[in-house]
Amino acid sequence: MTLGTIERSMLTVMGASFLLWPMGAAAQRVEKRFAVKGRPVVVIHNVGKGRIEVKSWKNSEVVVTGTQTSGKATIDTEQAGDRIDVTSAVRDVNAPPSETETNFQLTVPEETELQLKTQTGLIYVEQVMGDMTLESVAGDVHLKEVSGYIIVSTTGGSLICTQCAGKLEYTSISGSAQILQPALNNVKLRTTTGNILFDGDFIRTGLYSMRTGKGLVEVRFSGNDSFDLNAQTAVGTVDNQAAEFLKPDSHGVKHSATKFSKGLFGTVGQGLAKVELSSYSGIIRILKRD
Amino acid sequence: MQCKEVEAVFEQEGLATLPEGARAHLTECSACQSFFSDLSTIVDLAHELPAEVEPPDRVWIALRGQLEREGILKTPASSAVERAPWWQVLGEFFRTRAMAAGAVGALILIAFALLWKNPSPPVLQANDTFADTAVLLSQQEQDLANMRLASTSTVDTSLRQSLQDVDEFIAECERRIKEEPQDNLTREYLSGAYQQKAELLSAMMDRGGSIN
Repeated sequence: MTLGTIERSMLTVMGASFLLWPMGAAAQRVEKRFAVKGRPVVVIHNVGKGRIEVKSWKNSEVVVTGTQTSGKATIDTEQAGDRIDVTSAVRDVNAPPSETETNFQLTVPEETELQLKTQTGLIYVEQVMGDMTLESVAGDVHLKEVSGYIIVSTTGGSLICTQCAGKLEYTSISGSAQILQPALNNVKLRTTTGNILFDGDFIRTGLYSMRTGKGLVEVRFSGNDSFDLNAQTAVGTVDNQAAEFLKPDSHGVKHSATKFSKGLFGTVGQGLAKVELSSYSGIIRILKRD
Repeated sequence: MQCKEVEAVFEQEGLATLPEGARAHLTECSACQSFFSDLSTIVDLAHELPAEVEPPDRVWIALRGQLEREGILKTPASSAVERAPWWQVLGEFFRTRAMAAGAVGALILIAFALLWKNPSPPVLQANDTFADTAVLLSQQEQDLANMRLASTSTVDTSLRQSLQDVDEFIAECERRIKEEPQDNLTREYLSGAYQQKAELLSAMMDRGGSIN
């Protein structure tokens, strides 16, 4: 990027429109439309409780619909070129959380980048292609048919990722993760007390790392899969229900558990992908799907 | 000179002293004049921004103290002025909430750097490294307890529950390391849990003034 392009981008941002979108005293539903040219970046920061739902369409337009149960919050929107910022702010600082709830419904072009942040309430994204960062404290995150570099972080919220593609990172303390029918080539899942379920194919050359502190890690692979497996637990157990498919690792590196841990190492097929599973005190279960 | 060449001059040499060729081009090209004017405005605005803030001395003092204590820095810096004990300095440092998570991360990295440098470290040294982190986190948790709001919102409840979960997990890992000091897998889990706790405490402190 040259200085010229940076400068022009800055001028675009400087000339951005800024809209304040106050809500009335009673429950309201307000809709805003933003025309975009290329791949938009949509940023939502929901400071209070609320659900964020994102779906796609083929139009070059972002539609943001906000609903509130009371009028004790405002919604600020800003468009700067293809970047759209939406922020909910609490108007009445004495209002209880239930009265500052703001729910967002977005319709975006199929290729859109997302940065969504909420405290509680579900984040739901469906059929969007683009990098996304999704943050929640206590809310769950459900993704369906999304692709890109997906980063999800929660404190207690769980993740369900169905038919996701690309690269996925999930970190949580007590949330669980379910990865179903994925086409992901890079997966990194971390939770302290939650469970992890990976039910799907491992893409050749893919890297998969799943780690829980106290929970269950369960992997269900298919007979056509090809991966090297490294499963370790400090004080938990390894439940190998796929012994007949697991051969000794044939790639020259000899793996073995230390005297302080229990491990399972081996290769399925040619061992083209790399799968690392770990649970400190929980169960690691490996099985082949029917 | 062509427009692209002039743009390259701006980019590489700045706006202060333009070569003759660029100046000549500017007198004839309205697009480049406009571009030059915009850049000048941006540079002027940038000069009005506050200067980069120097990290406070306590950051360096704290890091130096830690590194000296761990034996990475062999020669203690001359101390014409009497220094506070390192734990007081670090405690002060931790009052800056935004830095807390990063500081704990740095400590954990130092701990792991030491472990990798010396794969079979003396048990006491390794334990001490983790113990330092544990002490700092406990201090921070105590600060949080003093300011904690009695909020029963879903978010605060979730954060408190998560803190309890992490504390329990840390206790479990610490017990294990006490029994099996060489258990590197547990060490990895413990360092990850410390990092999580630091981030969690930081988030909870940030919510100290929040209403939801």
